[in-house]
Amino acid sequence: MNTQEYISSGIVESYVLGLANDQERAEFERMCAAHSDVRAARDAFEISLEQESLANAVAPPKHLRSKILGEIEIEKENSNSNIIARKGIKEDQQIVGKTPIINFRGGRYLAAASIILLIVSTALNFYFFNQYKSVTAKYEDVVAQNAAYAQNEKDYQSTINRLSDPAMAIIKMAGDSVPSSPAPSSMATVYWDTRTKDVYLLINKMPEVSTEMQYQLWAIVDGVPVDAGVFDVAKGIVTMKNIPRAQAFAITLEKRGGSPTPKGQMYVLGKV
Amino acid sequence: MDKHLGTTITYNEQELVSLLKDRDNRAFAYLYDNYSGALYGIILQILDNSELSNDVLQEVFINIWRKIESYDPSKGRLYTWMLNVARNASIDTLRSKSFQNSQKNQSFPEDVDRLSAGTSNPNIDHIGLKKMLEKLKSEQRVLIDLAYFKGYTHEEIADIEGIPLGTVKTRIRTALQQLRNILK
Repeated sequence: MNTQEYISSGIVESYVLGLANDQERAEFERMCAAHSDVRAARDAFEISLEQESLANAVAPPKHLRSKILGEIEIEKENSNSNIIARKGIKEDQQIVGKTPIINFRGGRYLAAASIILLIVSTALNFYFFNQYKSVTAKYEDVVAQNAAYAQNEKDYQSTINRLSDPAMAIIKMAGDSVPSSPAPSSMATVYWDTRTKDVYLLINKMPEVSTEMQYQLWAIVDGVPVDAGVFDVAKGIVTMKNIPRAQAFAITLEKRGGSPTPKGQMYVLGKV
Repeated sequence: MDKHLGTTITYNEQELVSLLKDRDNRAFAYLYDNYSGALYGIILQILDNSELSNDVLQEVFINIWRKIESYDPSKGRLYTWMLNVARNASIDTLRSKSFQNSQKNQSFPEDVDRLSAGTSNPNIDHIGLKKMLEKLKSEQRVLIDLAYFKGYTHEEIADIEGIPLGTVKTRIRTALQQLRNILK
């Protein structure tokens, strides 16, 4: 490749704009050193780029000038005092001979800086340890919650299995079967396992009651109400007391904890 | 040639460089007065955020002061060197985590600012190199934008654009040749 081809290949612009890779840069620098026309092409592009930049300059905010020149002033003073400090060490070393006492200013700052770093690092350790602790606690909560959900799921599954068993008698108790029911639209269902005699209660619709009161399920055995347990409306399916024999089931509203014999009003009733 | 017209001092590049290497404050102030606008322009074009550009401009001039020893005149003009210091600092900022976060948080209000500022603010798409880029074909413009203003390597661009590395190189070269003609 002759130099004209090389010059017009785009390498000049690529080099000047900082887009050339290391190999291209090295080659271009060799070409510049060897060929004055390559160098001239580079100069020409640099000058036109500079003129273009100057023509399109954007003045920075005025306050930056004094800020930047002030920074430079500080840099300059620091580098001067470093030179003085370095000279000082040399003199000290000469005075005390073989056991130099290094007494440069930076030492104090270094010590201060390392103490600050230590404090910061301790604080960070503490912070991260606390973070770790709180995350661990949260994680344990989540695991416990998950176990609780899994248990619930299992319970529901076994309830559904039990309820769908063909040996399960279903007794619908309706509010409208009770002439004096305070809520005639109430409804609840007894699932009665004919083999085990276990009783489950599904609350379809029962009015909310105050916290001093509780519903009580009764099994009517030969005309006599037998306590089958108390329950709260909030629960879905409740396991009640085992009832070996009954002709009907009914629910009354009693004082919390239930009564030995029904005292409150009857809400629903259903015959087996 | 009289370089001391009135109180205004002008330096040729060689004098300026040697004074800067001697840590001459006045030479540095001269450098700032003459080049801060050009460098601020390129920083703004890359970052598109005036508050961060102020910080980067400060960083750039401090770097110029600290690193002037490493400037080698045989490799190019002082301005070219400073331009690359400015571009590198801007791209580092562009890629920093804090910048990415600030863009996420501020993108909405900034747009509002720009809208309400109307024409009084220079639209950075219409200054300097970005303006020249408008004269390129869009396929070339995209590549120059990624390479120069976003600082991606040719390999990264090939990945981003999903085109072969050879094509990236050719298109960038062609675009650069055209830029040179536009500059002339």
